[in-house]
Amino acid sequence: MIEFTRQVGNRIGLHLRAAGEFVKVAAQFSSEVRVYHGEKYANGKSILGLASLAAARGAQVRIEIEGADEADARKAIEALFDAKFYED
Amino acid sequence: MSRNKTAKSNGGANGAVRARPELERRGISASPGIVIGTAFVRNGDRVSVPRNTIDGADVDVEIQRFARALSDTVRELRALKHDIATRMGEDHARIFDAHLLILADVTLMDDTSAVIRADRLNAAAAFEKVMNRFIATIGSIEDAYLKERTIDIQDVKKRVLRTLLGVATTISARPTEPSVVVAHDLSPSDTAQFDRGTVVAYATDLGGRTSHTAIIARSQGIPAVLGLENLVEHVETGDTVIVDGNAGVVIVNPRPATIEQYRQEIDRVRALEEQLLLLTAYPAQTLDGRQFALCANLDAANEVDSVIDHGGQGVGLFRTEYYFISQDYLPGEEEQYKVYRQVVEKMGDKPVVIRTLDVGGDKIASYLHRVPELNPFMGWRGIRFCLTRKDIFKTQLRAIYRASAHGRVKIMFPMISQIEEILRAKEICAEVRDELARDRYKFDESVPLGIMVETPSAVALADQFAREVEFFSIGTNDLIQYTMAVDRGNSKIAHLYQHLHPSIVRLLRLIATAAHRNRVHLSVCGEMAGDLLAVPILVGLGIDEFSVSPNVIPEVKRAIRSMTFDECRSLVRRVSRLRTTAEIEAEIEAFVKAHTPVSTASGGTRS
Repeated sequence: MIEFTRQVGNRIGLHLRAAGEFVKVAAQFSSEVRVYHGEKYANGKSILGLASLAAARGAQVRIEIEGADEADARKAIEALFDAKFYED
Repeated sequence: MSRNKTAKSNGGANGAVRARPELERRGISASPGIVIGTAFVRNGDRVSVPRNTIDGADVDVEIQRFARALSDTVRELRALKHDIATRMGEDHARIFDAHLLILADVTLMDDTSAVIRADRLNAAAAFEKVMNRFIATIGSIEDAYLKERTIDIQDVKKRVLRTLLGVATTISARPTEPSVVVAHDLSPSDTAQFDRGTVVAYATDLGGRTSHTAIIARSQGIPAVLGLENLVEHVETGDTVIVDGNAGVVIVNPRPATIEQYRQEIDRVRALEEQLLLLTAYPAQTLDGRQFALCANLDAANEVDSVIDHGGQGVGLFRTEYYFISQDYLPGEEEQYKVYRQVVEKMGDKPVVIRTLDVGGDKIASYLHRVPELNPFMGWRGIRFCLTRKDIFKTQLRAIYRASAHGRVKIMFPMISQIEEILRAKEICAEVRDELARDRYKFDESVPLGIMVETPSAVALADQFAREVEFFSIGTNDLIQYTMAVDRGNSKIAHLYQHLHPSIVRLLRLIATAAHRNRVHLSVCGEMAGDLLAVPILVGLGIDEFSVSPNVIPEVKRAIRSMTFDECRSLVRRVSRLRTTAEIEAEIEAFVKAHTPVSTASGGTRS
């Protein structure tokens, strides 16, 4: 299992559209993806779950990835954060 | 524009099919214009979900039923998306991407199955419960940027429920020939489906001037009457319908005499418009040579062409809140800058008055106002909102100042009632200018600052305010509402809302005097400025500028060109001594009759 923390760096935070981008990436991998924000947790392949996290701009989210392709999944998800969810 | 398919058997021989009686309904005038057309009823918006306890043995069947409904909905939505992409372009189809992702969400299947199993609920009720939980969670997020309009999730919920319940799927139904679209309510994904040109008017049960449908209708230049409560129950596809967006009236199954009457009205307006457009090149000037600036009110950036077409000499009021309300989230500085810049550049050397965010009252962006107010018009709106949300205010001011590098911008603050508010707003503007200069942005350092005069308090203190700003704009709609203590949306008392009430005339004189003494530019941007009966009074008060809906500009211009400033001044003196609205209106009517060419007086925008 891989675990890492990222800051939500896009302008408006993890809203429905950004959550959609996240899901599109996570769904390409067979690994399980879990996203934690404060007390809340969401399946990284659920757009509604991610949007319910209320992770605003600047929020720290912890991401756990577990599965055969976890290393590749991490790379892709980190790239998405780097690109600020293709938003700005 | 008038579509008339009145081949319906109104005179249907032998009385075999009795024509249904004419029905007139009053709603909210959301976009002007009159159309006689054929109804296209889009129903199925309201889905009532039955709630049954199911047998333990049926749990798996119910779960399978739900899985099938989900995949059916996905198929339907993909087809719809493809259809819209080919007919209207990829941009319009993008609205469905989020919907498809929601439908594909594994938690929908997992959670709904769990609820079906645990609560022994039928699939529709279980699914509704799951969706409502997400809608409540996401809808209650406090971060202004994050708080979504949950409309996309609601939309998906409705689609799946309709499929599950076998409610006639009307979602992909759309008119194929020019029609009046009648519906309970329309979501952005609904209106995106309609081909341009097939919708000649909108009439919906829900919605108001600020709703999505209203904004779309105005930007497409087609009439809309909303807030009709339960009109949809009284109309069938194919019925003849008259939509009068000027008066906010819809008539279903009109009698031949009514149709004839409206047809004449349409012809009259069209003839007048053609004639009036010829005036575009002439100034708004009285017979004795006093000139007025005739500007336009703007709700959306794409309406700016209409301002130019109608001969507007500037934008007297750009209501930026509609732009905010039509977004899912708070637009940032860059996005706002692009919108303001577009308007400013298009207007060239003509002035553009940008009013800072006036949310609150009836204009609610769901991501900004979380807690409903008991008395929103007396509440957290206009400048009051902006001064407590300085982050939002400064972002907007930065965007406006940056747009000022591309033309002539003025900034106006709404809902001012206290001197402290304008002092604070000016301080924040100075901060913004300093920051922009430090960041080396180009902008106009002397952008004129002004206020809306729309509270009785601002009128009483007009002389004080006049020393602090460079211009006033009288917002007559709110000023009258606050002065007369009348909500004109309330049909029991709406008649008390009067442009020409003696108290209003008196307040206008107070404002004009304060403005003139302090050399403050004076504009009137409320609906009163487009009321042809009020025009001679406003001329006589010596205001500098009228700001009205673009399509009213030519008529106001023609009225101004038919009178003299001197006569209007003495008219103001005469009516100032009168005690009732009726007396004042009679006095002005006599004046107008003596000065204006026939038939113009009835074509105003009186409400």
